[in-house]
Amino acid sequence: MAFHLVKSCVKVWPKTTALSPAAPVPLRRFQIRFGIIIKGNDTTSIAPNRTSLFHYTTSVDKIPPISSSNTDGGRELLSMSDEKLMSQCEMDTYKSSGPGGQHRNKRETAVRLKHIPTGIIAQASEDRSQHKNRASALTRLRSLLALKVRNSIDLETYTPPPELLQVLPPKSTIRGSDCGPQIGHNNPKFVLGMQALLDLIFAVDGSVADAAKKLGLSTGALSRLILSDDSLRQAVNEFRASKGMKPLK
Amino acid sequence: MNLSSLARLSSLSTVFASRILNRSIAFKPISCSSSVSVPHAPTSLNPNLPLFLRPPTFTATLSDLQKWQNWAKTLASSIGSSFTDSDNGPDSEILHRELNWLIEDALQNPKPLLTRNDSEHDIVLQLRADLGDLYTLWKQRIEKRRPFQYIVGCEHWRDLVLSVEEGVLIPRPETELIIDLVDDTIKQNAELNEGLWVDLGTGSGAIAIGIGRILGDSGRVIAIDISPIAVQVASFNVNRYNLQDKISVKQGSWFDPLIEFEGRVAGFVSNPPYIPSGHINGLQAEVGRHEPILALDGGEDGMSDLLHLCNGAALMLKPGGFFAFETNGEDQCLFLVDHMETIHHDSFHNLKIIPDFAGIQRFVTGIRI
Repeated sequence: MAFHLVKSCVKVWPKTTALSPAAPVPLRRFQIRFGIIIKGNDTTSIAPNRTSLFHYTTSVDKIPPISSSNTDGGRELLSMSDEKLMSQCEMDTYKSSGPGGQHRNKRETAVRLKHIPTGIIAQASEDRSQHKNRASALTRLRSLLALKVRNSIDLETYTPPPELLQVLPPKSTIRGSDCGPQIGHNNPKFVLGMQALLDLIFAVDGSVADAAKKLGLSTGALSRLILSDDSLRQAVNEFRASKGMKPLK
Repeated sequence: MNLSSLARLSSLSTVFASRILNRSIAFKPISCSSSVSVPHAPTSLNPNLPLFLRPPTFTATLSDLQKWQNWAKTLASSIGSSFTDSDNGPDSEILHRELNWLIEDALQNPKPLLTRNDSEHDIVLQLRADLGDLYTLWKQRIEKRRPFQYIVGCEHWRDLVLSVEEGVLIPRPETELIIDLVDDTIKQNAELNEGLWVDLGTGSGAIAIGIGRILGDSGRVIAIDISPIAVQVASFNVNRYNLQDKISVKQGSWFDPLIEFEGRVAGFVSNPPYIPSGHINGLQAEVGRHEPILALDGGEDGMSDLLHLCNGAALMLKPGGFFAFETNGEDQCLFLVDHMETIHHDSFHNLKIIPDFAGIQRFVTGIRI
């Protein structure tokens, strides 16, 4: 695994660090922002979408790029326990100027998590307790890891992993009855399937028809699955746009 | 120092305390007294039921509520960053967010007011407070800088919603971490998990309840506060989380109620008053004008109570027992660790200073030898 665990910020007691240039500063409710770090002038895979909930910021940084050379890295990250994943993160709270504690009445309970190995940042501010914002930020981080960290796939020998089979509709011809009921996007396990699906779509250069064949689905059925989740649809469409393909609608 | 001299010291501060306390009671809200309907309350212990727990016995039309909402928004917007500039208080953005939370707590179905759809303006909505009181409450929030948590009578802290009112310190987000520190400790030591824990100066009962929910079946917590209001509010919160068999709330001065447990306490936690007296005047208005000074003022250097606690921890804790105290920051942390290493060098080991999420050195922890 190519990621480095940064032990100095391990555990739930991280030190504050200055905001990286990739981190947008203003904070509003119900927003997720994160910086994605890209190597040199290779900006092809990102297409900013002004209307979207997700804001992509690019910058050149010391942090290594998120690349498909980290075989299984992404999947490994997602299957980590909350504690393990948290141990790879720096967490800080906003508006932390001044002595804090008893000095302040602060309803500012926003939380920002920065995943050190990938540079991905997730934040949450909509809840009234910091504790809950931390949990929300971690859930968002998982979702962002699924969307942003790619595992490489060998198409010749490809068989869909079980977490992907579980999110497929029952009519898939390769989905055995042992997969159980279809997992929807409200289930926390959905992100694992979403990640595996994106791995495949990237491997087939954005062709929904090609991906559908690998999954025993019609092109229409796979499109509907992709369109059912906003962030999945957006990730697929941004990748397709970077390849000069039309967005799925 | 022995226990009786500790007790003497603290009874001195009791006199001081009750004076301060009476002063803060004078701030008693004029809020919503018409809507407090005690028969519906889970217990009659708490004179001020949090807004969100009150029965929705009031009504108003959507258009009247929108009129109030627009007035409240305009008032919040007029603040801009002036509070922030003067004493690091809330800006308009935070006040707008608080307004939405007030709506969530005050309305049985807040949706028509919080989403901009085309509901009919004459639909009638059910409220937990009279519309006139909502005007009064928001005026208090802006003009008197009355803390939002006292306006709605509760604070969201970890996964808890705790009742608070004037006379009781509003639990801070920093303090949430103490529960994680305790959780880490009891996971490694089953004896502590099933032992007796003490929260000194419990206030709303936040730390005691947080610990009570993670301890093992035979683990117990004693929560102590000198303020009768704090004892009432903490008891109310303990009952609401159905922890009355696990947590006993006692009124008393520091270690007085604990004399029988000397040397038997498994864990000892506190967020004592730690602000140096000289800083009290410059506090954010929400804090300095409205919260109990008793719970904030830690004496000339802010260390009076912390030092008292350290000495007490040496006496009360059993071998292997754990303590965690919140402090004002790095200086106090360093001073305490130094104090314990010199005065109590044979009492404690594994002394640690732990930062809060803003990176400020906030907690001192250690283990009784």
